[in-house]
Amino acid sequence: MRHGLVLPLLLLPPLLVWGNPVSTEQVTARLVAERLVVAPGEGAELLLVLDIRPGWHTYWRNPGDSGEPPRIVWELPAGVAAGTLQFPAPELIRVGPLANFGYSNRALHPVSLEIPANWPVGEPIRVRALAHWLVCEEHCIPESAVLDLSLPVADRPGPPDPEVARLFQEAREGLPLRAISDAVLRATPEGARLDVALPASVRRPVVVHFFPSTWGLIEHAAEQPWRLAPDADGGRVQIELTPDAEFESADPGGLLVLRSGDGVSRSYDLNPRRGVEVPPGPETMSSLGLPLALGFAFLGGLILNLMPCVFPVLAIKVLSLAGQGALDLRRRAVHGLSYTAGVLVFFALLGGLLLGLRAGGAALGWGFQLQYPPFVALMAYLFLVLGLALAGALILGARLMGLAGGSQGASQGSSRRPNQGLGAAFAAGALAALVAAPCTAPFMGAALGYAVTLAWPLALAILLTLGLGLAAPFLLLSLWPALAARLPRPGPWMEVLKQLLAFPLFGTAAWLLWVLSVQSGPTGVALVLSGMLLLTFGLWVRERTALAAAPWPWLGTAASVAALAGALWLALLTECPGIETPPNTPGAEWRTEPRPQPDQEPYSAERLAAARAEGRPVLVNMTAAWCITCLVNERVALSSRRVAEQLAAGDVLYLKGDWTNRDPAITDYLAGFGRTGVPIYVLYPRAGEPRVLPQILTPAIVEAAIASLGDPDPGLSRGEIP
Amino acid sequence: MTRSLTRPLIVAGCLVLALTVQPADAKPEVGKPAPDFSVADTTGKTWSLADLAGKGLILEWTNHDCPYVRKHYGSGNMQALQKEARDAGYLWLSVISSAPGKQGHVTPAQADELTKSRGAAPTAVLLDGDGAMGLAYGAKTTPNMFVIDGTGTLVYMGGIDDRPTTDPADVERAENYVRLAMTDLAAGRPVSNPVTRPYGCSVKY
Repeated sequence: MRHGLVLPLLLLPPLLVWGNPVSTEQVTARLVAERLVVAPGEGAELLLVLDIRPGWHTYWRNPGDSGEPPRIVWELPAGVAAGTLQFPAPELIRVGPLANFGYSNRALHPVSLEIPANWPVGEPIRVRALAHWLVCEEHCIPESAVLDLSLPVADRPGPPDPEVARLFQEAREGLPLRAISDAVLRATPEGARLDVALPASVRRPVVVHFFPSTWGLIEHAAEQPWRLAPDADGGRVQIELTPDAEFESADPGGLLVLRSGDGVSRSYDLNPRRGVEVPPGPETMSSLGLPLALGFAFLGGLILNLMPCVFPVLAIKVLSLAGQGALDLRRRAVHGLSYTAGVLVFFALLGGLLLGLRAGGAALGWGFQLQYPPFVALMAYLFLVLGLALAGALILGARLMGLAGGSQGASQGSSRRPNQGLGAAFAAGALAALVAAPCTAPFMGAALGYAVTLAWPLALAILLTLGLGLAAPFLLLSLWPALAARLPRPGPWMEVLKQLLAFPLFGTAAWLLWVLSVQSGPTGVALVLSGMLLLTFGLWVRERTALAAAPWPWLGTAASVAALAGALWLALLTECPGIETPPNTPGAEWRTEPRPQPDQEPYSAERLAAARAEGRPVLVNMTAAWCITCLVNERVALSSRRVAEQLAAGDVLYLKGDWTNRDPAITDYLAGFGRTGVPIYVLYPRAGEPRVLPQILTPAIVEAAIASLGDPDPGLSRGEIP
Repeated sequence: MTRSLTRPLIVAGCLVLALTVQPADAKPEVGKPAPDFSVADTTGKTWSLADLAGKGLILEWTNHDCPYVRKHYGSGNMQALQKEARDAGYLWLSVISSAPGKQGHVTPAQADELTKSRGAAPTAVLLDGDGAMGLAYGAKTTPNMFVIDGTGTLVYMGGIDDRPTTDPADVERAENYVRLAMTDLAAGRPVSNPVTRPYGCSVKY
């Protein structure tokens, strides 16, 4: 159109053409109205349609690494106002090492017009939109058009124009469905992680992408590996992002695009909050005095000896104690002290690490070692090999055996070497502490919650006291001959016991594999099983060749070292970001059992706040797959039919949070109660302060607690009318 | 095994599993030493950051056909800034990172002709056809500006100004971030706006 104008206009950038539609070199632009007739006092929905030449594209509101979003300068009659141009979900357009966010083929931008109530009926509204856009293929051309539209005005709006109905429908399908605010963005050692509560309609997305609203937050072109968090309901997705220059200060908001298995994409406005460090403890924590906290820490340490995840190590310790029966007091004392030193050094190192992480802003909890898949894998290896050694399948050298059995080597009759057990006792102490740490016993939670809020010397004192408690029983048995003398004499029974004790170790390895399956899915389990195969084969080769002529022992050792290296490498791969809990293996396996289960929802701070605002009572349960106490509580106390009925009768909302992998939202919640570990059970009445339930639950405790919510409005029943 | 040894092994392993791509680039950061480069200019002379110690340096990524670049050359804004910077003792290197065959790629003679015809005043025009320098600096757009102080520290990176449009009329209204950085440095102050969004066409790597 208007060919006569083309030549002079080319010389006069920006190119301006009038009409509606307007065709430029790369784009045909139109401004269309949803209804052919509009009415005063009503809104009018308009749509800027850019039909783009194939291979070219226009831009989203954040154009990505280059480019510019379309904009409109309006010329409107007095009283008529235009809203902001809206942007449907964009495509990710890769340009070499860069990335743009934009549209190919057709871009649709809805915009609303407000018509004043006193606009005279019969007088059309003349709208003039000066639209500017940048259109790029390899190179970019800024284009403009003046789009004129005249809207007839009647006393009521006309029907939708069928000619453009499909365009409007398409545009609206591309717009965000709603906003998600239950999302946390935080820096991680590897970069950044966005943790988002998935909408109920897209629980198993197949494509996930986050488009930031502003420049500088993240690298636009970086891959975004994601995985579904192994939440009880599979309700969260974690996206790994690469921070860009303004990560700390840029608006963390953006658009989350999810495509489900049926091929339908949906988008959501995302307003993540930024993850915060563990906040300084509230008053309730500080009120726990230091002597009391130290007392709890010591008691907690003692109780750790009895915890299920320490039991295998405890068993090893009993075994090595029996071995020491033949030693003199001085040597036993030295063994006991070595063991204690091992525990204390480990707790000191772990405390230092925890405090370092705290300083680094990573709000991690005490149980974080078992939240790290490679660590779980390594522990599984360790328990497998120790189990094999105890079962007699392997005769390991003094190093591994020492690690397992403390001074157990001393019991092996003729091969006894008196000085050998000291390093081993030290190692056994460290091992006991290593395994004990994730088991947040009732007393440990309070003491640790207190510790992380303290200055580092006090925090270390708490942790060391905890370690002292863990080491105390062994130390006492070592020092007190009367007690040690009561232990059975060494004899053939020891071999039987030793073999028997292999099974708790295998059990622990099996349990660790299960934890890993929750964290890293079948791929992670396959990696670690391969690692186990490699490791046991290497050890078998070494075993076979140990007594052969040279150079066989050397080759056997080399083979076992290579196998060990391979196994370690496989263990580390369990942390590859791409390994994820696959969408088709829902954690629901654990919920399809025919056990009564109270209706539950995944925990989110928003859900909790909403229920509290409604005045609905809430039971919060924070759990983790690796937390034995949690699982036992759920089985014994929370899954009873009576509890389910009571929760339903009292209209109690049951929120369950899964902390199996690091989940910042739950870490924050725990920190709010001065805890750094699970479990925690909190009952919120309709109004008033929440009540923290004990960490070891019985059906009676839970039923009594829920019953105490009792009367729907106790205030009124007592006549306290405000 | 040391950390430095295990990290590449893990990364390689993850790649073997074809489950992820790890971006392994060290990104330029304001306040840190600027990435080194070694690129030939239109006369064949090689420029590298290590040889330029003691002098302030301004890097300008450019592409003569990009409408955003044309806004600044057509209005004379870029040329004026170049002269101003060089009068203040800065070296000015214009960098062309368009790959051979891609839009904006030029021969040395074409680059010199562009400098002459536009009345531009860079110290030199670097031809970074393999994109090594552009990728080291994370240059994303044309124009994309970097200011490096005499100690080799990167003190500014981002856009040329705060008006991300192709409209030449915006040049007058804009706050020029490069000029601001030079003013701050001359006054011995830290650069007040050290990182901004670069705007323009994408660099044609």
